[in-house]
Amino acid sequence: MTALQIKNLNHHYALSQGELEVLRQVELQVQSGEFISIVGASGCGKSTLLRLIDGLETASGGEILLDDKIIQTPGLERGMVFQEPRLFPWLTVEENIAFGCRANTHESEKQKLVHSHIQLVGLLGFEKAYPHQLSGGMQQRTAIARALVSQPQVLLLDEPFGALDALTRIQMQQEILKIWQAEKITVILVTHDIDEAVYLGDRVLVMSNRPGTFQKTVPVALTRPRDRNSPEFSKIKKEIYDEFFNKTV
Amino acid sequence: MTLKPSSKLSWFLPLLIPAILLILWQIASDIGFLKPSILPSPLVIAATLLELFKSGELLKNLEVSLVRVMEGFAIGAGLGLLVGFTMGLSSRMERALSLITGLLRPIPTIAWIPALILWLGIGESSKVVVIAVGSFWPVLLSAIQGVRGTDPKYLEVARVLEKDSYTTILKVVIPSALPSIFTGLRIAMGIAWASVVGAELIAASSGIGFMIMYAREVSQPDVMLVGVLAIGLTGLLIDFLLLQLQKRLLKWSVNP
Repeated sequence: MTALQIKNLNHHYALSQGELEVLRQVELQVQSGEFISIVGASGCGKSTLLRLIDGLETASGGEILLDDKIIQTPGLERGMVFQEPRLFPWLTVEENIAFGCRANTHESEKQKLVHSHIQLVGLLGFEKAYPHQLSGGMQQRTAIARALVSQPQVLLLDEPFGALDALTRIQMQQEILKIWQAEKITVILVTHDIDEAVYLGDRVLVMSNRPGTFQKTVPVALTRPRDRNSPEFSKIKKEIYDEFFNKTV
Repeated sequence: MTLKPSSKLSWFLPLLIPAILLILWQIASDIGFLKPSILPSPLVIAATLLELFKSGELLKNLEVSLVRVMEGFAIGAGLGLLVGFTMGLSSRMERALSLITGLLRPIPTIAWIPALILWLGIGESSKVVVIAVGSFWPVLLSAIQGVRGTDPKYLEVARVLEKDSYTTILKVVIPSALPSIFTGLRIAMGIAWASVVGAELIAASSGIGFMIMYAREVSQPDVMLVGVLAIGLTGLLIDFLLLQLQKRLLKWSVNP
């Protein structure tokens, strides 16, 4: 079943010296429950694409549909995790997560949801901690729980582990797989890390630079958990790597 | 980054210089270098302090001034927050009020005292209004700055999570503006305390400023100085209490 459709999406920014074309003719169909990785160089427009899917910005042309409804504004059926955790420093872990709840959620229901999501991201025991008392990885776990607590259909991840150290990043990748499997949610991950894209995605979409468009789709037909050191894994990574660096012009 | 003295020393250090000055002052009085009618010795002042404290005169005057400060501060800071939030949240309102606030703000508070006495008489209300005017400005500026300074990334989170503007203001804008507002409140309290003394020096029949002025008229320099000292001590105490409140309310802040 198709959850998300992007049809002939174009986007440009108005600059003082003319227009900057950011996205050109982006087409995408995402199946419900699919894990999509989008890789691209920085500045290629991949984050802009995610912001358009979330509705934080409005596309210059084309449309994005979720369950056949056009997306125009942010909505709780799409959870968003930014590169920085963006937690409110004045709220504790549980209060930050509770902030993600729908406005009409009953207090007892809210408590249950917050507790189960704290458990989901592995933060039991840290409910009363303030963000500045947490490590970067734990802050990002809190941000993921906040995005999931309203039980969205689609989770949008904008380079969520980019600021973490290599070991924590691997741990968080395993964590996000676990969450994806547990919640049966559709995930769109934007990253510049080819290894991360292949490890997580059912498909890896390679985005070209200026203007951004999908130049290649690489299916990752490997069973999970995937072995990053297996020859098949390396072969797929090389295929994507070649798109960026070894292309004969 | 400054070097921290060891804990024993850190208690002792703020007292050292005042103690030396007091001893020198006492010696200068004892050898007759300082005339008691101009500047009494520290021991005489201490005795007067004790006497005024026992008789209740000091506390009575302090209380009168403190009540004025609290009333004026509540009105001034309250209005400062109200107008500050309005101007911080709406650029149209800020534009509409920019000329009038820009014109009134540079006027020193004490410049209003003669006009306020003319309009309101020398009763309580003129003093309370002087204090309100003095406390208004720092709170106004800090509220505008605090609201404006809200990280757009936090506002984006509120948008992503479909929060209405009421919730966004209450849960995101106000907490994020609080550290700035607290700085404004502390400055305002200092100005309020200075304004009450200023107002009482000019026209009053009670209060700590009146006590100082009256002591000068009847040539009691010790009483005068006790009053001056009491102003300093009370100001210190109020700021300490505000700082404790700030630490408690802003315990989330890494650097409150």
